[in-house]
Amino acid sequence: MDRITFRPSLVIVFAMLGFLVAIAFNTARDLGQARPDRVGDLATVARDMETQRDELQQRLSELRHRMNDLEREAAEDAGVRETFSRELREARASAGLSGVVGPGLEVILADGTEVPPGADPNDYVIHDTDLAAVVNALLAGGAEAIDVNGERIVGTTPIRCAGTTILVNSVRIGSPYTVRAIGDPVELEAALAEDHSASLVLVTYKKQFSLQVSVSQSNRLQVAAFKGTLRPQYLQQVGGDPS
Amino acid sequence: MMVLVLALALGVTLGLLTDLQIPPNLLTYVGVAVLAAFDSCFGGIKASLERTFDDKVFAFGFITNTLLAAFIVFIGDRIGVRELYLAAVVAFGIRLFDNLASVRRIVFQRRGWE
Repeated sequence: MDRITFRPSLVIVFAMLGFLVAIAFNTARDLGQARPDRVGDLATVARDMETQRDELQQRLSELRHRMNDLEREAAEDAGVRETFSRELREARASAGLSGVVGPGLEVILADGTEVPPGADPNDYVIHDTDLAAVVNALLAGGAEAIDVNGERIVGTTPIRCAGTTILVNSVRIGSPYTVRAIGDPVELEAALAEDHSASLVLVTYKKQFSLQVSVSQSNRLQVAAFKGTLRPQYLQQVGGDPS
Repeated sequence: MMVLVLALALGVTLGLLTDLQIPPNLLTYVGVAVLAAFDSCFGGIKASLERTFDDKVFAFGFITNTLLAAFIVFIGDRIGVRELYLAAVVAFGIRLFDNLASVRRIVFQRRGWE
């Protein structure tokens, strides 16, 4: 076989090819590294902040207890203050700042157990909108206090989606969801049946997507106190008399 | 053949040593440029073996191929069809294998394996 000589231009292009491949490799390598690191960082930050939040909540409930004690001591002084103290207690119960008991309705929602092959698994889980629909229907039915997995629903409570979990009062909760509502049990159940969005979840989706749903009336339910803060930053009282 | 392998190794070493990087959004351009260079290299080897290699044809082919490929990527970016660069990738890919097949055939013939 006779020798073949390659022209310099071909050799130069070969060197360029190697150079380009090396550059692409450099860039792609750093891209690949950057992402997982950042995700790891954010996960750590999120975990730290959640721990911090739990500690602060703990402290908040301690301070609330102390405040209750102090209020009681102060109120014990005079009969006039007794009335005031009772009003304050009632206002707190309505606002959700103290745990309450009473008759009501308990709704338990859980994700579907089996997703048939080929089906969209998203259809088989409870979504934030489903939970919000149930809570809304219960409020429409005259519920006086509601909590979801121990998270009290107050005026500023958001219910929203957070990946595979649902955020209620900035606390992540997962399936099964237990919604407890205090009110007239019969009226509450009727309100659920009347509400279009709620009955869609409780009846239609239950059948269609094998969601596990149970609704039961009770003579005595316990609804938890609100664990977050109610410290307004922007609002101001209108008028002189706050009542 | 040895000189080509050496040139390739030199290019890679140079690129790795300088640790040169480009903005990530231009990575597609480099990818297509790599393919264009690849295509030209195999085309060049084939032409060398057939003894029809011509500096002008080779250089001009390499430059126009690369420019057209870059232009296709650029147009794809502009009109929102980022996948347009696949056209260049497929075209170069097919030519690459065609050229490789030609090279193989020529080498086999020379060595009398066929």
